[in-house]
Amino acid sequence: MKQAIQAVMAYRVRSFFCLISVALGISSIAVIVAATEGAYKRAFEIVGRFGPDSLLVIGGSEESRALGRWPKTIKLAYVEAVRQAFPTVYMVVPMTFVGDIPVSFRDKKYQTRVIGSTADYTRAWTWPVIQGSDFTEEDIKGIRNVGLIGQEVSRELFGETDPVGKYILVRRIPVQVVGVLAERGITGGGHKLDNRIVLPITTVMKKFVNETQYITAFRARFVDQHNLKAREEELRLFLRQEMRTADDQPDPFRIVSPTAIIKFLVALTGSLVAFIGIAGIICLIVAGFVLANLFLLSVKERTKEIGIRRAIGARRRDIVTQFLGESVIITSIGGIVGFILALLGSRLLTYIAEFPMYFSWKAFAVGMGLSWIVGIASGLQPASRAAQIEPIEAIRE
Amino acid sequence: MPLCSMENVTKTYRLGSQTVEVLRGVSFGIEQGEFVAIIGPSGAGKTTLMNLLGCLDVPTSGRYMLSGRDMSNLTDDELSLIRNEHIGFVFQNFYLIPYATVFENVLLPTLYRDHNTNEAAKLASRLLEMVGLQERDKFRPGQLSGGEQQRVAIARAIINNPELVLADEPTGQLDSKTATEIMKILARMNQDGKAVAIITHDVNIASYAQRTIRMEDGLIV
Repeated sequence: MKQAIQAVMAYRVRSFFCLISVALGISSIAVIVAATEGAYKRAFEIVGRFGPDSLLVIGGSEESRALGRWPKTIKLAYVEAVRQAFPTVYMVVPMTFVGDIPVSFRDKKYQTRVIGSTADYTRAWTWPVIQGSDFTEEDIKGIRNVGLIGQEVSRELFGETDPVGKYILVRRIPVQVVGVLAERGITGGGHKLDNRIVLPITTVMKKFVNETQYITAFRARFVDQHNLKAREEELRLFLRQEMRTADDQPDPFRIVSPTAIIKFLVALTGSLVAFIGIAGIICLIVAGFVLANLFLLSVKERTKEIGIRRAIGARRRDIVTQFLGESVIITSIGGIVGFILALLGSRLLTYIAEFPMYFSWKAFAVGMGLSWIVGIASGLQPASRAAQIEPIEAIRE
Repeated sequence: MPLCSMENVTKTYRLGSQTVEVLRGVSFGIEQGEFVAIIGPSGAGKTTLMNLLGCLDVPTSGRYMLSGRDMSNLTDDELSLIRNEHIGFVFQNFYLIPYATVFENVLLPTLYRDHNTNEAAKLASRLLEMVGLQERDKFRPGQLSGGEQQRVAIARAIINNPELVLADEPTGQLDSKTATEIMKILARMNQDGKAVAIITHDVNIASYAQRTIRMEDGLIV
């Protein structure tokens, strides 16, 4: 072992180049593993918050959404209809979104998104009120001007002071803050959640959008989570029927399910994984070939050394062990350096692209495992060549 | 019983389609603690004889006994072990490992056997002291003179306490003064009880030996 380290040091230029190429390969692979793990972790976090038993129905077909239009297709009445038609649904929560509303408290101003919903909203999204309280059924029925605000809104308008009970102006309509929502972070698509204001849906429909029937979306949660796939299909057919959609027309709404979210995130990660993956594997293969060739050269150069080792009692397998040891030491150091590079590189990736990365022992283990495989694979042939050297040939004057 | 003995040993090499008979029936022995010189012109088969004595190669026919054991049918691994435990080599070109220190070069043979690291290190220091290089143990071979390198090689040859030391032209690369120093060290090893066989074509060097074996054309004459 010590001998092998010495030899690695003695041929340091050679070792250095091999090490760098292995390091580059391993770092890309480690980034991939981390990215994959990060994506899955993020996906499951999001699904966890989204609710693994939830379906979100958004108005407008995918096509119209892609064109930037938000046609009104979902009626508030469907909420009750769904509640009646599906025995396993335990919560249906309507929502209406209004974007870019100016909000102010005294001289502090803020621009944000307002959501109208029912008293079930916080339960539907598993999003607790941490200060004050939720609004009530009475607030909904009474079309009252009360609201919940997100953490960011609270920070922007109130700083350190307690917002509960205070009045804010939401597009010049005074609204009393009754509660503050917990910190929520961002969605899978990169939307901020902590900048929201939630008001009773009746208030938003009447006072903000002047609408009596249509809502933006609703959310349904089911007790039979394992049948969600079937429920999704039933809900789709039910809504088409309610909307009297012709058979040849696409759905005038979109259903977002937990699996759809996972698919989206995995696809997002997939392209990066494929790109870095190919680069990484090429790096490793090149590194392997470079290593193997340099070692073959080295075996030729060190014929006398091998001969003398054999003469003083080294068995063939001792020689194999020595040369494999040298290559594995180089690739292992390459693996460690690569892992460090990956850690640094992923910082950069997360910094520029908000990309989910998660380094665990798995990324490290995969990196080290691969570096050993490269070390052994590229060292094996030169090592066995070395072991075949006959001492009397090697030490002939 | 002699330390080693050869009975009618032959060795032929194939060179393409030709076979070359290098040893043509050699019989002789070396006693425990004996100092022999093998002399003869180049091409007489001295190095081949040395390779067989040192278990670097096996005879084509005949029998070679070392310490009462037949060396003719051993496996490669077994021969490695024999070389490690029973034989010390000293070469004309020293053959030290260039990237290892003097001390590590001396320790080299102990790496290939079960050994106590501490004891081996102590022994290596003692041997370096014996050959007068204790101050240079951290040097690399390239920083030493030829005579010094050969002294390191001698220390290496005896660290596993072999019964037989084989030296192939050990002074071939050295000036006469240094050669004398090296021969004195070999002679002292012999006085300590080791059998020493040196190959040389220098009659002066051969004079250190108790017995001279002359080879010519693949035979002992």
